[in-house]
Amino acid sequence: MTLLETDGLVKEFGGLVATDDVNLTVEEDERVSIIGPNGAGKSTLINLITRRLDPTAGDIRFKGESIVDRDPHEVVQMGISKSFQTASIFSELTVRENAEIASLAAEHGSFGFKFLEHRDSLTDVHAVARETLDAVGLLDQADRTAADLPYGDKRRLEIGIALAAEPDLLLMDEPTAGMSPEETEATVDLIEEVKRELGLTFVLIEHDMEIVFRISDRIVVLNRGRVIAEGAPDEIRGDPDVQEAYLGGVDL
Amino acid sequence: MSDEPAPATEAGDDTLTDAVGVFAPRGDELRTIAATAVVLALFPFVFARMPVVSEVLQGYQSLATLILIWGIFALGFDLLLGYTGLLSFGHAAFWGSAAYGAGVFSQHVTGSPVLMVAAGTTVAVLLAWVLGFLSLRRGGIYFAILTLAFAQMLYYMSSSPLAFITGGENGFTGVETTDLFGVIPLEAELPSLLGELLGNGMYTFVAVLTLLSIALAYRILHSPYGIVFRAIRENEQRAEFVGLNVWRYKLMSFILSGLFAGIAGSLFTIHGSYVPLSSLYWTESGEVVIMTVLGGTGSLFGPIVGAGIYLYVENIVSGGHPIDAIAPFWHLILGLVFVVTIWTFPRGIWGFFRDVRDYVTGGEDR
Repeated sequence: MTLLETDGLVKEFGGLVATDDVNLTVEEDERVSIIGPNGAGKSTLINLITRRLDPTAGDIRFKGESIVDRDPHEVVQMGISKSFQTASIFSELTVRENAEIASLAAEHGSFGFKFLEHRDSLTDVHAVARETLDAVGLLDQADRTAADLPYGDKRRLEIGIALAAEPDLLLMDEPTAGMSPEETEATVDLIEEVKRELGLTFVLIEHDMEIVFRISDRIVVLNRGRVIAEGAPDEIRGDPDVQEAYLGGVDL
Repeated sequence: MSDEPAPATEAGDDTLTDAVGVFAPRGDELRTIAATAVVLALFPFVFARMPVVSEVLQGYQSLATLILIWGIFALGFDLLLGYTGLLSFGHAAFWGSAAYGAGVFSQHVTGSPVLMVAAGTTVAVLLAWVLGFLSLRRGGIYFAILTLAFAQMLYYMSSSPLAFITGGENGFTGVETTDLFGVIPLEAELPSLLGELLGNGMYTFVAVLTLLSIALAYRILHSPYGIVFRAIRENEQRAEFVGLNVWRYKLMSFILSGLFAGIAGSLFTIHGSYVPLSSLYWTESGEVVIMTVLGGTGSLFGPIVGAGIYLYVENIVSGGHPIDAIAPFWHLILGLVFVVTIWTFPRGIWGFFRDVRDYVTGGEDR
């Protein structure tokens, strides 16, 4: 089944075309990586899908339904979750509370009138938050203030928040940016674990070729807003256009 | 405030918990409310009648009442400023409209104090809904200016175009409050021990509403709203991207803080039997900001403490106590207290107490 589909997607900033007629499909249970040189329009594409930006033209469909008129929180409620490029967390809150906010939104919708109910009665929210923290290996630090975590753990929490929203499709914007080699290794292990255990469909934006070739089923190469190549990791590795445009002719 | 995980429910509590379901008191809730009730019962005695202490403080009964009224206002304001991270500079609109609402209601419908509070609060909540809807379209300084502008419009409206209702410059003088439940006169002193402790019916009525307001605020802060408000304060964009409708939660925060301002404004009318035009003026909005920040944003009791200190300086120090010579400079004293507090304890007076407690106990809960 096709989960996500973009149809002739265009985004212009003034005269600059950041996304140029992109037709992307993501099937259920597929792991797709989007790569491309700096300024290729990778982040713009993600921001269009999560409804942070309005497209100039074209359509985005999720589970067959157009989402271009939806608000960002509605898109999340439909099942698209995003982990940010930087550690976008709730710093002054505890690690547990960080996960609970996301699971609250997942279990109880985008808004409710439950201002007279004690949080302790929301056992479903606590259970999801706990499972998520366990999955990203932060359960033993649940009561720490998020700001006190080392950078690598903040990024893991960031991914945890995205997972606690119980998405059908997870978009990850450079999940290992700014990490040390050890932290990167741990994060890749985490992504592979999530891939195996939750069977999640995800779209990954990444610079690190090693990671991309390791965990993708399919790779989409962008350059100047256009898709210049698409295929399995082995095909992309050997594609002369990709080597020319993106990898600067260096043989991989 | 501490909110450790709820202790295991004792066997005897199960029936109670089943009967009231999700509304059952949990964790520290009952203990906090009981402790607050004790403090509220002792406050006017210590402040206005206790030997030695009251002489040192020079406190008096009606100031104790006024402190609680402003305390309710500041408590609700902190939901918006301290927890949700939204600075409104127009909360005089809700305080003042509730004050006028309660006053006009007493003249034309009934002077029952309970119904006056209900009427005034309803006016404030409806107004908060409308003004919140209009002001929350913008963030940061633009939001603050929009709230200020709307509040000043109301001030202008009541100063002349609506003077036939509000009394214009003279204020609203037609307040006709009757006895509480038709039997308890508000201004008369209560008998025996009650009189010694609480003083009069007015204080008792205000104290009961203060206790209810604190219980309500405590519950809101421990409901899903409490965590969502803080999430919005910390990282609004992330809150939107976990799937929360940030806009509607912000509006609810605004309306809830308007509710508390409404309760307080209505009580102010009952307390003073008069609504001055200045109750809608922007300085009232400024005062509640100062009280909240002085006492400590992001805490349940800080704003009430802040209201107490502010009003103490405004009413007692300005009257020549403890030093006669500084009386004319009470505004300066207030400014100094504020500046020194914020320099020394950025989290306000309550934040300072909390830090001391954490230091002593070695705990880090809140």
